[in-house]
Amino acid sequence: MLSTETLFLLYLSTGFTIGFGHCIGMCGPIVVSFSLNLKEKSIFIPQLLYHLGRITTYAILGAVVAAAGSLTMITANIDAIQKGVMIFTGALIMILGLAMTGWVPLGKVFGDHSSPGGFISKGFGKLLPKQSTLVYLPLGLLLGLLPCGPVYTALLGAARAGMDAGSTHQGVLTGMGLMAAFGLGTVPALFLVAKLADMGWLKSRAIIYKIGAGLMIIVGLLFIVKAIRY
Amino acid sequence: MKLFIITFCFVFTIVFLLAVPGSVSSGDKYQEMINCDLHAGPCTQSLPEITVTLDVTPRPVKALQNLFFRVTLSGKQLTSTKDPFIDLGMPGMNMGPNRVQLKSAGGNSYEGQGVIVKCPSGRRTWQATVTIPDAGQTEFIFDVIY
Repeated sequence: MLSTETLFLLYLSTGFTIGFGHCIGMCGPIVVSFSLNLKEKSIFIPQLLYHLGRITTYAILGAVVAAAGSLTMITANIDAIQKGVMIFTGALIMILGLAMTGWVPLGKVFGDHSSPGGFISKGFGKLLPKQSTLVYLPLGLLLGLLPCGPVYTALLGAARAGMDAGSTHQGVLTGMGLMAAFGLGTVPALFLVAKLADMGWLKSRAIIYKIGAGLMIIVGLLFIVKAIRY
Repeated sequence: MKLFIITFCFVFTIVFLLAVPGSVSSGDKYQEMINCDLHAGPCTQSLPEITVTLDVTPRPVKALQNLFFRVTLSGKQLTSTKDPFIDLGMPGMNMGPNRVQLKSAGGNSYEGQGVIVKCPSGRRTWQATVTIPDAGQTEFIFDVIY
């Protein structure tokens, strides 16, 4: 059996390689949508918060499957939630795309330069002055629930590690740590994709924005269709 | 406003086409690679001097449920003391390491438990790579029900 340290490294490296293969194709549209929608604002903090939220959800799922010692028992119970999250993600990408076209006044929702008092921002504004940025944390927490093959595979390992651990407490900590390591490993690839979509030359061309918005609407629809078929 | 209406008509046409099963992008080009119907029963592949039979139960084979994998060997006797194992994955897509370690079930049979995960892309073609230490490996490509 592998040592815990080796397992952590294995999960980190698996997340890294999966990130550059699988995640770019499946989750790339989400980070690109965020990136394009931020326009002139820096993507660093929003992306950081989004990934922090996503990793936190993975860690919680890791703890739960490790405690249960079974992945199938958990997935049977969260199947409907995951479907809902997938539909929500598709709708969100579509809304962001529509907002980029200017047809939907998204500033009234999230808050921007012209409408700093969006209703979500107002809620978070009571917690922190950085209003519109903080919304990416709960988004990451929620989108961490998106159904994803490699996440399931990683959770299988976390469940096994939970079963092999000496106690439930140790198992929960191991499962949580392994999933956090996996999530952390996926960050570089997704951050790179988000950064590429954030390039200045792209922002300077309104027509590219319009094309990006159109693609986002289509990608959002595809997410919804996949969710319906899931 | 006119542009808005045209765009929405276009978008809903795409949704309609994609939502109708089997219309646009039904999707899995790897289905052509399927060499085994595990829903129907065990499958057999050959290695030099060894025949490998894979059986997965319960049938039909579904994703995200506990599955029992049984590998039966015939032909040349194994020289290795290591047990065979199965790596589960999808052709052309990295799904992360998912290994089913098999244990001797007596005679030339080996058994283990595992789970095939679900891919939201909708692709259902999976691959079980059976490795027989010191003898080689063989691939079973099959359909999984989501």
